[in-house]
Amino acid sequence: MRVLTLTWEFPPVITGGLGMACYGMVKALLKHGNEIDLVMPAKEPAYFPLRTAEDADNLLGVFRSLTKEGMAKAPANIEELRKFLSTPVGVYFTFGRSSRFRYTIDEIRKMNPFKRLFEILADQYYLFRQVRHYTDTALETASQLDFDIIHAHDWLTYPAAMILKKLTGRPFVAHIHATEFDRAGGAGDRRIHDIEYLGLESADRVIAVSAYTAKAINDKYLVSQAKTRVVHNAYTPLNSKNNHRRIFREPTILFLGRITLQKGPDYFLELANRVIQRENNVRFIMAGSGDMERQVLHRAAFLGLGTKFLAAGFLDRGQVENIFAAADIFVLPSVSEPFGIAPLEAMSHGAVAIISKNSGVAEIIQNAYKVDFWDIDQMTSIIIDLIRNPEKRREMSRRGKAEVANLQWDEPAKKILDIFTELQAEPVYA
Amino acid sequence: MLNIILYFQVHQPHRLTHYRVLDIGQSNCYFNDDLDREIIDKISEKCYLRTNRLLLELINKFEGKFKIAYSLTGAFIEQLRQFRPDVLESFRALARTGQVEFLGETYYHSLAFLFDEAEFLEQIRLHSQLMRDEFDYSPVTFRNTELIYCDRIADLLAKLPQFKTILTEGADKVLHWRSPLYAYKTYRNRQLLLLKYYSLSDDIAFRFSDKHWAGWPLTVEKFAGWLEKLPLIEKQDRNLYLNLFMDYETFGEHQWEDTGIFEFLAHLPGQVLKNDFIGFCNPRDVTENINYEAAPLSIPQPISWADTERDLSAWLSNPMQHNAINTLHHVLAKVKRSGRKDLLDTTRRLSTSDLYYYMCTKWFNDGDVHKYFSPYSRPEDAYIYFVNVLADLEKRLEEEPALQ
Repeated sequence: MRVLTLTWEFPPVITGGLGMACYGMVKALLKHGNEIDLVMPAKEPAYFPLRTAEDADNLLGVFRSLTKEGMAKAPANIEELRKFLSTPVGVYFTFGRSSRFRYTIDEIRKMNPFKRLFEILADQYYLFRQVRHYTDTALETASQLDFDIIHAHDWLTYPAAMILKKLTGRPFVAHIHATEFDRAGGAGDRRIHDIEYLGLESADRVIAVSAYTAKAINDKYLVSQAKTRVVHNAYTPLNSKNNHRRIFREPTILFLGRITLQKGPDYFLELANRVIQRENNVRFIMAGSGDMERQVLHRAAFLGLGTKFLAAGFLDRGQVENIFAAADIFVLPSVSEPFGIAPLEAMSHGAVAIISKNSGVAEIIQNAYKVDFWDIDQMTSIIIDLIRNPEKRREMSRRGKAEVANLQWDEPAKKILDIFTELQAEPVYA
Repeated sequence: MLNIILYFQVHQPHRLTHYRVLDIGQSNCYFNDDLDREIIDKISEKCYLRTNRLLLELINKFEGKFKIAYSLTGAFIEQLRQFRPDVLESFRALARTGQVEFLGETYYHSLAFLFDEAEFLEQIRLHSQLMRDEFDYSPVTFRNTELIYCDRIADLLAKLPQFKTILTEGADKVLHWRSPLYAYKTYRNRQLLLLKYYSLSDDIAFRFSDKHWAGWPLTVEKFAGWLEKLPLIEKQDRNLYLNLFMDYETFGEHQWEDTGIFEFLAHLPGQVLKNDFIGFCNPRDVTENINYEAAPLSIPQPISWADTERDLSAWLSNPMQHNAINTLHHVLAKVKRSGRKDLLDTTRRLSTSDLYYYMCTKWFNDGDVHKYFSPYSRPEDAYIYFVNVLADLEKRLEEEPALQ
């Protein structure tokens, strides 16, 4: 089967768990003999035809631009590729008629529910200009490709997927890794909620990364349970050759994620403060960037945590691996976490994970501490206990590592493939 | 008689690299030598060489009637030794004229007086030694980092009796009705105090090129005219001191060449010396030529010449700054206890006030000034890199065997 995969992230160009999840499932789908055309945000129309599992590790090698000039100045190394795939500029393509398409863009613009969609895409706010650019380049790219199914990851790519479904009559599978409710910690941006609602409504199947998320979209967006499927993420380690080493001799406790309300960095700081009061021989590292970074740093300084609480800032993929290798305990105090792939990575590097009960990953993992994100007391006593009982820590680490090693993508990929196959037999209402 | 005291602060910090958590245990390169070199090269060409040459000519031309004073920090001299020996030589040439006074201060341009008194005195001794080594001169006048002063500093300096005079800001909040033109004494009558005349100093240092300022364009004739409006002959014939204190980089760097700042400086002495009641002197001369009993002035809270507040808030107003400097002094004490001489200089470099200045989060005009000087895009970055470096130092203290 040939899949058109629309995503905002993919390693090595990556900012979070979404990229890691895409990587794992794409690689497994390729192994099962499927072909994937991957479309990411880019300055100009371009895509990555992935045909073998190895291709997933070699974006640079398979890069295809759709223009002659684009091929001539194709990125020569990862840095150039990253730049090409970086923040797209606001140059819009006048999208014409393709023999593969059933309508022109101007015809679609007038139809429901696309009226509202185009209204949002015309928004001048930076993020929506980026989404519009992505939608434009994705349509341009897709106009020259053949595919059996559209697989789109999160709201940023839903507009492109919705329009492509209409244009081509191919079924659209919406994968939902996180909702605006998760990111905002409640009701968020109206425009994003609208896109999520329209996208999930238009999709022929919705794949939720956890039962937690399936319930949320049913509650909040009234997505019918009949077309929703839960497929938990798994974890595929990257083929990397980084030197793995500790940073500190002392037990090191790590937070890694966006420094935003959703991820609970403020709870991490408060528990760090509690632990340091009782156990001085310890280091806390907060990795990531986000709108709460200032607030957390200022408070850490106010509490006088000094060199016990360090900010690693934004890390690229290789650096993320290194920081996991330096951690003994990983904390994910998310207020709301549809899945949460970072604890799996941390566990595969041997760290003991403490995860929020409000997370999808808690549904599939046994060998981790599951806590309420607000329960700083409990997290503190778990950490103190682990610091004072290295033997227990090693045992948890060993069991966690073994458990994650068994979490292969083959199973989830087969479930996804079943959904694709199911759809091939059904009529598409587009 | 009105005595003009021209004093210039010359300082460049050792700036930190973007030292990240993953560099801890991997790299000991804390300081961005390339950036320091780039900046000192630029300023050497725009300011130091040219101003030094001009002042040397003026000193020779006026044969003892024109004098200047400098405070050169340890960090500045180190960078000259490393990158610009030609500039260092031009300061030596100025020293040989005998008309130039070099002030004492903390070697690292630090805030040590607030946190560690022994360290404060030790850094002053190190700096005085440096002045002897480079210029064969033993300082007798003290100027704390950025003109910071409070009564406590006078007490601490009692342990270094060679310092007869201290310079600080003529802040309104301590002077009230008094004039900065008089010399004062510190509150226990130990040292003389000379106070910056900030309006006339800042006319040159800050406003010189400001076209929206009523005084623009500032010519030497206009400036000399302003000086003549000051009381030149005091009613009891007491000697007055007009303290014009500023950053040396005023000439050519803060005020660019095309503003006419060099012409202004070149013609200033000739113009003001036309008046028989105006002359130049050095801070060290005041103990000799003062012809009255100076009144004591008590300044319990620290003042400085920085920002509109004229206090310590440029370096110590937010939690990041407080936490950073407290942690530094904690680590410095550990380094001293451990006897790790190899880490001492590096750790002391981190006491340089600029590193805390970069962490300042004040807004509006002063914030813009902070931004102009900072090598980081955000105050938070300055804090993060600083704390990471301290964490690495701690790790080295714990894990490396002491070098003999």
